[in-house]
Amino acid sequence: MPVNDPDWGYRQPLDDIAGRVAIVGIGETEYSKASGRTATAIGAEAAERAIADAGLTPADIDGLTYSGTFADFGVAEFHEHFGTSHEMWSSPWGGGMAWAGTAPYLAAKAIENREARNVLNVFPVAWATQRESMTGGPGEVHAAQALKQNLEVPFGFFPQPVYFATIMRRHMIEFGTTREQFGAVAVALRRHANHNPAAVFHHKTLTLDQYLGAAMLADPLCLFDSCPISDGGAAYVTTSVERARDLRRDPVVVQGVAEGYSGSGTHWAQQRAFTSTPQVFSAPDAFAMAGITPADVDVLTCYDPFTIVSLMQIEDMGFCAKGEAGAFVGSGALAFDTGSLPYNPHGGLLSHAYVLGIAHVIECVKQLRGIADAQVTDCEIAAYGGYTGHMASTLVLSKDR
Amino acid sequence: MAIERFTFPLPDIDDPLTAPFFAGAARDELLIPRCDACARYVWYPSERCAICAGPLVWTSVSGRGTLFSWAVVERVFLPAFAEQVPYVTALIALEEDSSVRLCAYLVDVDAAALRAEVPCAVEFRDLQFPTVAGVSVRVPMFTVARRQ
Repeated sequence: MPVNDPDWGYRQPLDDIAGRVAIVGIGETEYSKASGRTATAIGAEAAERAIADAGLTPADIDGLTYSGTFADFGVAEFHEHFGTSHEMWSSPWGGGMAWAGTAPYLAAKAIENREARNVLNVFPVAWATQRESMTGGPGEVHAAQALKQNLEVPFGFFPQPVYFATIMRRHMIEFGTTREQFGAVAVALRRHANHNPAAVFHHKTLTLDQYLGAAMLADPLCLFDSCPISDGGAAYVTTSVERARDLRRDPVVVQGVAEGYSGSGTHWAQQRAFTSTPQVFSAPDAFAMAGITPADVDVLTCYDPFTIVSLMQIEDMGFCAKGEAGAFVGSGALAFDTGSLPYNPHGGLLSHAYVLGIAHVIECVKQLRGIADAQVTDCEIAAYGGYTGHMASTLVLSKDR
Repeated sequence: MAIERFTFPLPDIDDPLTAPFFAGAARDELLIPRCDACARYVWYPSERCAICAGPLVWTSVSGRGTLFSWAVVERVFLPAFAEQVPYVTALIALEEDSSVRLCAYLVDVDAAALRAEVPCAVEFRDLQFPTVAGVSVRVPMFTVARRQ
């Protein structure tokens, strides 16, 4: 982070890669509660399916992006699983969360620099299984930080549902956002999951009355404002647009990538713009690279661990003015079939599965291929808003022209 | 990555970055690092001023502030908190610089009656968890300030 930081965050300038690379293969595993599987096994299955979907073989994959934080499926695991041993370019700055949106940029640069031709991005998670042994999970990473251990956890400001309850409260204070409006997000995403047989909550419906009557985790944040813990994973293959046109699937072209950062890192309590996300610094760059405005986006997927994070990103990406997302989502805007901004049609983290954003990018690809379960009509442009607390990313994808 | 320190979730009062905060609290004094060069309060503590890189001095503040936001925690997220839910954890914006927000328990309040921006005042109390036998740490907590 720059020492002189007059604002509360900053943008990371990226090279223009519009129209250079395309996503040509996608693979998903089962999404579930505790599966008893390891994240490495889940990653291998996702990788296998993405490579097959692209019509490639494991030997064709000469680039790999994965999450260095968890490192469940890196180059060694790839070779171990596929019985290969070829040279492979790799980066630990891929995987899920915000990086699910920026991995195609890494792939584009590796392809441009002739370091790789076909790059696989993988992200598996088995936190539902690991929870039995109290290892892994979103809270543990945070509890390990010294400043949080000393200045937040002892004071009951822990874990994420508590952070976001205070942000949700502040959004209500500053903008008059209501519980019914937060509930509208939860209900819309559950309805989407009811259309998607792969969603963990496919068979469970949710009404606004059920939302309003639900148990509080940290008032004003209730059970349905929060995503579950899940097992599952996905992967996608990126290659040059030229090669993509020779492969079996219709290419989904990368038109814009951007990333923005909060100067206060993951110390939400101290973020000056308390009810904002670093999408403020990211989305405008991605839309500019793609040569579009928010109004051109046919389907939006955002990293949505809590309902408040959906509202903030929808505002910060420019789909409505700051503070107006409550009224916007309350009007039914998010419905895949009747809304003005079809949003997380797969069900999102809230109702599809907590696989940390990788399924959001897969959903964008499916929507552009026209094969989604809750398919948006005439879908030409899709955007993903990634969010990892200190960082936001934006990925704009389109059909091939 | 499990946390080994047996006093967790009590603060580690020996951590050099935050030790002066707890040493101050032990004397019922609220100390916040302030830049000796540009006079800004810097929170959370760091090695140097985040704006001008000047040296930081732990400085006594009034202990008055306003209620920026809060949550009424009902779910037990860590076993140590099992007996204290529901509790109010709040972000208190300090009078000296409202961009400094302390994470603190708001005690002796009616949670349903809380309103944003109400004046709050520090009150030092001993923090204990039933899972950490025989150890307590004196910390700043806050109450809603009584009307004059």
